[in-house]
Amino acid sequence: MSRVVVIGAGIAGLTAAIRLARAGLAVTLVSKGVGGLQLSQGTVDVFGYDPVRVTHPLEALDVRAAADPKHPYASIGREAVESGVAYLADLVGPDLLVGDPAANLNLPTAVGAVRPTCLAQPSMLAGACVDGASFVIVGLRRLKDFPAHLIAANLARTVLPDGGRLQARHLVIDVPARDGEIDSSGLTYARAFDDPGFRKRFAAALLPLLTHGDSVGLPAVLGLHDLQAWRKLSDALGHPVFEIPLPPPAVPGLRLNETLLTAARTAGVRLVQGNRVVSARVTEGRVAAVTVAQAGAAREYPAEAFVLASGGFESGALAMDSYGTLTETIFGLPLAGQDAGELVHGDYWGAQQPLFAVGVGVEASMRPVDAAGAPVYPNLYAAGGILAGAYRWSEKSGEGIAVGSAVKAADAIVRELA
Amino acid sequence: MPRAGKDARVPDKIGGFVRKLAVDVVVVGGGSTGAGVVRDVAMRGYSTVLLDRADLGQGTTARFHGLLHSGGRYVVSDPLSATECADENAILTRIQASAIERTGGYFVTAPGDDPAFADKFLAGAAATRVPAREISVGEALKAEPRLNPGILRAIEVQDGSVDGWQLVWGAARSAINHGAQILTYHKVTKIERDANRVTGVRCVDLKTGEEVQIDCGFVLNCAGPWAGQIAAMADCEPVDVIPGRGIMIAMNHRLVNRVINRCIYPADGDILVPVHTVSIIGTTDVKVEDPDNLAIPHEEVQEMLDAGEILIPGFRQARAVHAWAGARPLIKDSRVAAADTRHMSRGMAVIDHTTRDGLDGLLTIGGGKLTTYRLMAEHIVDAMCTKLGEKRACHTADEVIPGSESGKTYVVTHRLEAREHDRTEDQIICECELMSRKMFTDALAEQPRGSFDDLRRQLRLGMGPCQGGFCSLRATALALEADHIDVERASGLMKLFLKNRWIGLWPILYGDQVRQTALDNWIFQGTLDVEHLPQPEQEVEL
Amino acid sequence: MTSDGLEFAGHQFARASLDHCVKCTICETACPVAAVTPLFTGPKFVGPQAERFRNGESVDHSLDYCSSCGTCTLVCPQGVQIAELNSQARAVMKSDHMPVRDQLISRTTLMGMAMTPVAPLANAALHVKPIRTVVEKVFGIHRDAPMPTARTQTLHGWLKKRPAPKKAPTRGTVVFFHGCAGGYFEVETSKKSIEVLEHLGYRVIVPKQGCCGLAQQSNGLFDAATASVLQLCDDLRSAGKGLTIVSSSGSCTGMLKHEAHEIMGVTDDRLKDVAVRIRDMMEFLRDLHEAGELPTDFRPIEMTVPYHAPCQLKSQGMGQPAVEVLRLIPGLTVVESGATCCGIAGTYGLKKEKYEIAQAVGKPLFDMVKATNPDLALCDTETCRWQIAQSSGVPTEHPIWMIHRAYGLS
Repeated sequence: MSRVVVIGAGIAGLTAAIRLARAGLAVTLVSKGVGGLQLSQGTVDVFGYDPVRVTHPLEALDVRAAADPKHPYASIGREAVESGVAYLADLVGPDLLVGDPAANLNLPTAVGAVRPTCLAQPSMLAGACVDGASFVIVGLRRLKDFPAHLIAANLARTVLPDGGRLQARHLVIDVPARDGEIDSSGLTYARAFDDPGFRKRFAAALLPLLTHGDSVGLPAVLGLHDLQAWRKLSDALGHPVFEIPLPPPAVPGLRLNETLLTAARTAGVRLVQGNRVVSARVTEGRVAAVTVAQAGAAREYPAEAFVLASGGFESGALAMDSYGTLTETIFGLPLAGQDAGELVHGDYWGAQQPLFAVGVGVEASMRPVDAAGAPVYPNLYAAGGILAGAYRWSEKSGEGIAVGSAVKAADAIVRELA
Repeated sequence: MPRAGKDARVPDKIGGFVRKLAVDVVVVGGGSTGAGVVRDVAMRGYSTVLLDRADLGQGTTARFHGLLHSGGRYVVSDPLSATECADENAILTRIQASAIERTGGYFVTAPGDDPAFADKFLAGAAATRVPAREISVGEALKAEPRLNPGILRAIEVQDGSVDGWQLVWGAARSAINHGAQILTYHKVTKIERDANRVTGVRCVDLKTGEEVQIDCGFVLNCAGPWAGQIAAMADCEPVDVIPGRGIMIAMNHRLVNRVINRCIYPADGDILVPVHTVSIIGTTDVKVEDPDNLAIPHEEVQEMLDAGEILIPGFRQARAVHAWAGARPLIKDSRVAAADTRHMSRGMAVIDHTTRDGLDGLLTIGGGKLTTYRLMAEHIVDAMCTKLGEKRACHTADEVIPGSESGKTYVVTHRLEAREHDRTEDQIICECELMSRKMFTDALAEQPRGSFDDLRRQLRLGMGPCQGGFCSLRATALALEADHIDVERASGLMKLFLKNRWIGLWPILYGDQVRQTALDNWIFQGTLDVEHLPQPEQEVEL
Repeated sequence: MTSDGLEFAGHQFARASLDHCVKCTICETACPVAAVTPLFTGPKFVGPQAERFRNGESVDHSLDYCSSCGTCTLVCPQGVQIAELNSQARAVMKSDHMPVRDQLISRTTLMGMAMTPVAPLANAALHVKPIRTVVEKVFGIHRDAPMPTARTQTLHGWLKKRPAPKKAPTRGTVVFFHGCAGGYFEVETSKKSIEVLEHLGYRVIVPKQGCCGLAQQSNGLFDAATASVLQLCDDLRSAGKGLTIVSSSGSCTGMLKHEAHEIMGVTDDRLKDVAVRIRDMMEFLRDLHEAGELPTDFRPIEMTVPYHAPCQLKSQGMGQPAVEVLRLIPGLTVVESGATCCGIAGTYGLKKEKYEIAQAVGKPLFDMVKATNPDLALCDTETCRWQIAQSSGVPTEHPIWMIHRAYGLS
């Protein structure tokens, strides 16, 4: 029997499970399917906009936490975020995440916006948008999700965060990832870039089109398993190369996800995938077990502590039915943020939809609380997207909240069960 | 006069001759009425131009539930309409097959409905020549297993579904082949008159800002709910238009493969129509003031969901992808009294401005149904000919419309089959609706100034479950590559498209669509940071 | 064809689940077939995407490249029954032109019954190239595809002849379900399972039992499969009310637990009764261990062995019970393959036009197995074992063999 059950296989669930297992606790991680990490841009956001562009994310989150007690950072705190980010960076190593948690990077996106993020994959760093940079953005004819022209043209008309400008042009080349396919996914290209023969063909096609001083921006498909593939391509071209993340399937997210899954297995986490947790059994005010809708007969997973890392609205952990009723779908926890007036309004580019800041309120050790601020169950903890109070996608705070809360919940459990 | 082909909508090619035009007839309004009328006018040998301030079929015409009436709906309440619908259904299926799916339909007596109405229905159907046959409840449930198992009776009819945009564009292309010009995004600013006679129309090309002067002898005002505004431009007495707003909700997939009607006296929320990949429930009817400001009120959404639940148990758990509101073009004018209403289509009102305002050369048309659009056009153009003292016969029922030459009606498997054959040669840009790259670039070449919504209406771009989440970036890239626009407009078009999708999303944001919206936000704001692209001086609006 | 199964396939349950799809591509990234060939459009395309365009018709014939391994359904975080949608669409597509081959390889019991009495002859024939070439030409079964080895004695033959168990039962009674392969080809796995259960103190009943219909189901023969699975439920239920049913045939267990219901819409109470009672062999041992009731007086086995969790087992969503139990054996190092699929996917990899794809799907697994231990690999399901053994050359056993050994039973 496991002592802790973690629900959810996203960045929060995986981080919490690994930290718990490494602390010597038997951990079961149950998830409906693959977590959302592989849909992400594959960097670690801590705090990007508040709402103006943030340069020093840790300082800014401190300020925000002080000003907004409902924001997840108010309960998580700067220390846990720092510790969580460092823990994650250490888990995956410098081949996957680099950067200074105290300062944001400004990296190009696949529409040509300049996006702040905190830690990035080393393959992305040469894309730092600083005054005087000179980019050539290279599109692939068979990869429809990387609009090289749009990226280059938007970057070229942007006043950069440092007040400067960069030069950007684009070109499109056609090197098939495999025969008989015109509509290749980023993943197909990433698998191809793992192959030295393909990299050689690709470099040979691209090199004659480059000019001295170009930094080469490519879709983030430069290798799936070979984390040095981008570096080898860069060496072959003799130009700095950088990756720009794509919409899903997002290869940088896949790399992080696979690395964390391996770390979880190695740490001895028992992974149970494929079925939704449908309910919980509560005895004497404590969560005794969660029930999984397994094929055939439902199965209970009992434990001493539980981490709810099931995500937000995108995963169905939070749901709104056709009458407008909001629920946390496993434990039926009380939800914070419903008092924001009209939860859904009709203005797409104006204010955020208050609906998406609804979630679970937590206390300092990440236990969900009721309206009065008291923990709902003494042995239930929450981490990641389920937490109320933030518009993660617009403020660019998703991973910071996830790893900060995961580490904080895990540490509280370790203390409790020690 | 210049023949207007595809290039009528290319700015650099038409700029020279659009500035001043002379035609016999100007048709105002690019909905089904206007498109049917301009086709008929052109086929009778008049030179003509159609003007719309927006795209074809952007107003009332396509803001409906997609039902091609069998006539069943009217067999009890309006027998003449029923017969007209049955006749026109047959004609359209012949001349505009590609816009029509022969789904068939059922009228079902839901639990609590009066079973005796079905008897009146069958009697009415026999009297109006609307094909109808009662089938067993078991047979109906076998064919449509999601249908409420508690239904009491079921009557099979020949309802179909129709793509309003395909219908209108088909008519417009036919008109173009007969010499007509179609000028979209041309907003009428003035109907010019010389004392008691119409002499021309002044309008502005909204995409270029250019003023356009069109001399003509006759104006047919087919502006639907906006007909009052157009008539006012001729300094006529106010025309009393009372738009009737109705909302519709598209469900993510075909919950049924036949049109399902409640077998009751026509009411709100009593039709569920399978159209393309979705099924549409409609509709409500609420009088409103302004056809440009149509709300999709929460209560009406709830009313539709309740109505859906009666037809299909579990309807509320099914996924809604989009909602919209349309305005019925009802004219309530005490002076409506065309000389001879026997020849007028049911539900149609014609204002003869000669008798009403002492102005020759202007007819205003209100009301009508999409199913009978061709017949209405025939009657209107007949009326115009009569006023002009000419006898020119109508042939619109005889000539097949471009794109429907094969006579094959639409089937929902079409695109799946097409992609099965071309997917190794072409990319799929909109995955939900299986729209290929070539489909998009072809449409873009035809409408280089089009917004993504203009293209959407012909291609179904972004109309599936993800509502533009994955395809709008691809569309933006292709539009920029095509070299008609610059990066600022391309980026602006993408934002405009997402904004317009959102208008139909928020009223039905519940259940699975909340997950989708969250993921779309993660993509556009989270990964792409779209909201931090350089701010344009002015947001793209068209 | 208007069977109930196919009508169900046209429009029910799984179809409703397509509403959950947010197009996130997670299924695409996990699909082992799309990874190796562009001929398959991928699970998102043929599943929730294409389904919106179907109206009781399947016009996209490339969906037949789906191997039905079920990985897509397993990884989907939103609960879309992607593999089930594909299986149903395929059944509809094939309903009027079912190849003889697909009907032949679907009739597992018949094949076993026909082959057992003439085992040496059948084995010779199945392993002789010219004969396989003819079989490939006529029936479309690839000449190099793995084929079961027929045994001279069936399980029931052994049960009749063997002496009564030495140990008196101390824990009550369980029903053993061996599946067709376990009755005719993988007889040794069944014997060892029974002996382990008896060693643990159970009385084991092995009722006469037919085929679960899985192969028919995966080839779109829903009518026949439904008849088979219900007959099997009757067989298993005849052994006694409320008894736990244990099976060493992982894929057949999956058919009984959920596939017959989710893919073919079988809602019969007999199936439900069996579904809640049946346990995979290793799952049964794992549950015993969790309850503190599994003796762990295992003999040490100093060995590193690769273990591959079959798709059919993974899709039952019970974690990796075999790994958990095997790791209780002192000295034994179990290395998880990490591979998605071996490629065979029941009968997929046998087919002439799919053989190369199946080999490409399984290649990372074959390489891993060879590199980890050239003498032994472990895997829970029959056809996967045949595929791994044939393609990697590494003998492959059911994990129960290792448990049997560790208890000193062999």
